[in-house]
Parts: sequence; structure tokens; C-alpha cells
Amino acid sequence: MRRPAALLALCAALVMSTQTAAAELAQRWVSAGGALSEWISALGGEQRLVGVDTTSQHPEALTALPSIGYQRQLSAEGILSLRPDLLVGTDEMGPPPVLAQIRQAGVRVEVFSSKPELAALDANLEKLGRLLGEDGRAGLLAGQFHHELDAVQTKVKQAQAAQKAPGVLLLVGHAGAKPLIAGAGTSGDWLLGQAGGRNLAEHQGYKNFSVEALAALDPDVVVIADRSLSGEQAVQALLKENPGLASSRAVREKRLVSLDPTLLVGGLGPRLPATLQQLAGEFYPQAKASFAP
Amino acid sequence: MKQRVQPRSLFIGLSLLCLLAVWLSLALGPVSLPLLDTLRAGLRLLGVPIAADGLEQAELILGQIRLPRTLLGLAVGAVLALSGVAMQGLFRNPLADPGLVGVASGAALGAAIAIVGGSWLGGIPEWFAPYLLSVCAFAGGLGVTALVYRLGRRDGQTNVATMLLAGIALTALAGSAVGLFTYLADDATLRTLTFWNLGSLNGASYARLWPLLVVTLAVALWLPRRAQALNALLLGESEARHLGVEVESLKRELVFCTALGVGAAVAAAGLIGFIGLVVPHLVRLLAGPDHRVLLPASLLAGGSLLLFADLVARLALAPAELPIGIVTAFIGAPFFLLLLLKGRH
Repeated sequence: MRRPAALLALCAALVMSTQTAAAELAQRWVSAGGALSEWISALGGEQRLVGVDTTSQHPEALTALPSIGYQRQLSAEGILSLRPDLLVGTDEMGPPPVLAQIRQAGVRVEVFSSKPELAALDANLEKLGRLLGEDGRAGLLAGQFHHELDAVQTKVKQAQAAQKAPGVLLLVGHAGAKPLIAGAGTSGDWLLGQAGGRNLAEHQGYKNFSVEALAALDPDVVVIADRSLSGEQAVQALLKENPGLASSRAVREKRLVSLDPTLLVGGLGPRLPATLQQLAGEFYPQAKASFAP
Repeated sequence: MKQRVQPRSLFIGLSLLCLLAVWLSLALGPVSLPLLDTLRAGLRLLGVPIAADGLEQAELILGQIRLPRTLLGLAVGAVLALSGVAMQGLFRNPLADPGLVGVASGAALGAAIAIVGGSWLGGIPEWFAPYLLSVCAFAGGLGVTALVYRLGRRDGQTNVATMLLAGIALTALAGSAVGLFTYLADDATLRTLTFWNLGSLNGASYARLWPLLVVTLAVALWLPRRAQALNALLLGESEARHLGVEVESLKRELVFCTALGVGAAVAAAGLIGFIGLVVPHLVRLLAGPDHRVLLPASLLAGGSLLLFADLVARLALAPAELPIGIVTAFIGAPFFLLLLLKGRH
């Protein structure tokens, strides 16, 4: 008789101790930022997420969670109905009165930078690690991210000895029609630069270009981020909608690369190093083998 | 002659509808509160001393989220519907809409300037930044309407037809200016602009509410005083003048009330279409064209309709939320068509 009682006490004590340790950390998370959600998953916090916004599409399991809508148009009561302890999102999250209402209801709101910069990413990861109680793992992931980025940089430098940096353009489109071109200050621009490409577009942000202006820039490589098609289909759709492109060097030499557009939203995410390897491989075909991830 | 609803029963019906809308708007939301808690929290908010045990959440949701939202919905719906009546009376055309005098497009231009320009400007004092959008939208609406009114005036007379055409021209002009700002906007501001154009009662707070409440109250008290004059205007301008109506000052008051009311509504909740056009029309189908009935009935119907639309907006995709402009048109348009078809027989 005495032994089961002791066992029970032990179990109770164990449960109590894990509960007290866990009580300091937020258990129910709502994330309003695609890259943030990816990092939370990478840090092993996926099971704490009880709701995500519409930009959180990776990993795919997140799409099964309740959707809180678009990050800039959140609803206070909607989010409160998920009984969260913590709302995380980028500085694009809003509107501000709604965030104020959520804070007032006793939910912690943490805002992260969405800038496509390494310093911002480091700060974000450190904060996420702290909030998840996974500081060690966050440091590890940040180190790994830097390391992989440095490796790409080194290999790009080596490749540039044999081949000069190609002029590239990033087109963001919808089934090939009326693509927007990524200019300075966008995460697309950061991505092209990191992969060793020279972005030929000099404007700020995403802008419409005429096909003629596009042909005049004569890019060596065209990267296509299509919201509705992927891979070869996206390439074909772009050529079909913009026959004027056919004369450009990139098309003649068949140097069209497709890119997942979800990579471009909400700051730097964990899938970027692999993408950079792939892009750099396309930018420097002679050194392609060295960019294998 | 078509059978009409007696004003008395219409008012009783609409008042009950409005009370039902208010009750549902307070009682329903993505957070499911027990009915009893809602009632007790409501009583506490009214100052009845009840023990607060376990009511904190209910009180917060009711007092800080649902109540300001409900008041905002009522005021916006009411003032949009009243402005609709004023415009349809002024233009003597049931297809007139507050947008005709340029107030909506002017507000949209102001909002575009605030949303896109605000991100370049920087250096806006912190206390003012949250109100920049509302102030710009209000100023834009008022400014464009004043211009339309000014263009319609000649030799101390306001020509309604000229005003209408000036309104169309300035709406197009403001539209292209908004287009320019849309082009200059980056992705994020573009989304903000798009959502603003669809309207929302989301994030209502008392601080933003009171200017609208004051304006709504003023318009709701002022316009019914001019109901007889509006009735006379239905017969035509010269007829109204013969009946002793100061037509010029009436026109000025109608335009001013519309600019003020719609400007304040748009500043608080973004562009919400459809209410101003359809609610007065609906009430007219039910109760006839007498402005003494039309004005107060439209006030009640506009407020109720917007609250019902908002219920759908916040419940349909919970925990996310639909822009309310989508819902008002989605519910209202088929209902309107139905009435039109029935009215033909």
C-alpha cells in the first residue's frame, strides 16, 4: 500500500516541478510573421503555437493552425479568443490600437525587426531563444546561419576569379503577368547580393517595369518569384506573358531561375542559406558543383 | 398606391431591430463569454456594484473592445445613412450617394497622403502619429467637398447639376492622385491602403470615438429640423422657394452636414460603401418619401445594418477578420435587388 502512494507523490512532485519551470515561459504563442514562425519551429517551439497569420506558410504544418488573418489587420478579440500568453510579430504587425487592446488584456506582445539585415536577425534569434527557453539552440542556429552565409561568400569570391559577377533581376509576379522588379532595400535585393549577383535594378522597393526597359537592362540571369506557379511552369508563364523578353541574354542562354516567393516576406528566415547556395550555383555555373548544400 | 408601413410601426420595428443589433454586437464575438458574465460585466460597467471575481476578462472584452466597437458601428452607420438622405434630397435623385460631392474620394486621397507620405516624412510628433491618418482623411474629405461646392456656385446661386459634374471630375482627379500614391507606395503601405479602402471597425477606442459621436449627434439633431424644407425641395427648387424655403442656405447646410458626417465616419472607420446609398432607399421603399420619417428611420436602420455587417465581419473567419466594406455590400446588395424587383410589381 505504501509504495503506490510514494509513487504517486513522486509523480505529483515531478509534474509540479516541470510546471513551475514552465510557468515562467509563455506556453501559448501566436505568431504574426512568416520568418518568425519558421524560426520558432526551427527552435522546437512549434507545439506552442496556437495561431499564426497568413504569411506563416512554412513549415506546412502551421497552415493547419487557426489563422489570425493578415499581420497588418489583426483583430484583438480574435487573437484573445485563442487565449495566448504571447503575441510575436514584426514591426509590420498592426494596427496599433489593436496591439494596445491585446496588451491591455494581459497578453505579452513582442515586436521583432523585419529588416533584411544580419544584425536584425541575430537580435531576433536571441530574443526568440530567450522567450522559448532555448538560448543555446538559438545561439547555435545563429552561428550556423552566419557560417553558411560566410561559406557562400567565400565560394562566391573564388568563383568570381573565373567569372565576373552576373547582372541579375528579380521579378515577382503572378502567373507571369506584370511582374514587379525588386529594387534596393528589399529582401530580394539582399538575397541577390548575398548570392553574388549584381542587381541591375536601382530603384527603391518593388516597382513595375516595362518589358522594353527590362530588355534594355539585359540581365545575365533572371530570377522569378511567382506567387501562383513554381519551377518550370513559372518560367514558361513569364515568357508567354512577356514575349519581349525572348531577345534578352538570360532567355537566350536559358538562365531563368525560379524562387519561392514566401522567402521574401517578413525578414530573414531559416531557409535562406540553402536558397543562397542554389542561387549562387545558377549565377556561377562553372562553380556550380562547389555550391552544393 | 403601394401599401406602406405606418411610421409608428416602422419606428417600433426599427428600434427593436437596433436594440437587437446592439445586444448581439455586445454579446457575440470570437471570445465566447457566458451570457451571465456578459450581463454582470455590463452591469458593472454601468456602475452597479457587483463583486468582480472572475469578471476581469469579460469586463475588459466588453468595456474595451466590444462597447467602443458597437458605438463606433452605430455612429458610422447612422451618420452615413443620414448623409445619404441629405444627398438624395439635395440632388432629388434616389441614386445619389455621399460620394457624389467628393467627400469619399477626398478622404481617400487624404488617407493615401497620410499612409504613404507619413512613412517618408518621419519627424511627426509621437502623440500625433496615431491620429495622422484620421486627421488627413477628414481634412481631405472636407477640402474636396468645399471645392466641389465652390465650383457649383455662380452669382450667389448653387447649381446642383454643375456641382454634380464638378464632383465627378474631382473624384476622378483625386482617384488618379491616389493611384500615384499607390504606385509610389512600397508593399507594406500598399496593403494598409487597400485595407483602409475596405473599412473596418477593428481597434475602436474611446479616444478616437468621441469626435465622431459629437459630429453624429450634431448631424442627427440638425437634419430632422430641415425635414419640411427637404420635403419642399422634392417638388423642385423654385417650388420650394415659393413655399418659403431658403433654398441656398438649405443646400449649404446639406453639403456641410454630409462633408462633416461622412468625413468623420471615414476618418474613424475607413471607407464603408453602400450604407449611404442603400439605407435611405430601403427606408423610402418601406415608408415613402416623407423626410420627417425618412431621416430618423434611416438613422436607426443605418446603425443596425452596420452592426449586423460587423458581426459577420468579426465572426465569419474568426480569429481573423473580414474588412466590413466587403460585408456591407455582400449582404446589402442582394437584399436591395430583391426589394427593387418586388417593388416593380
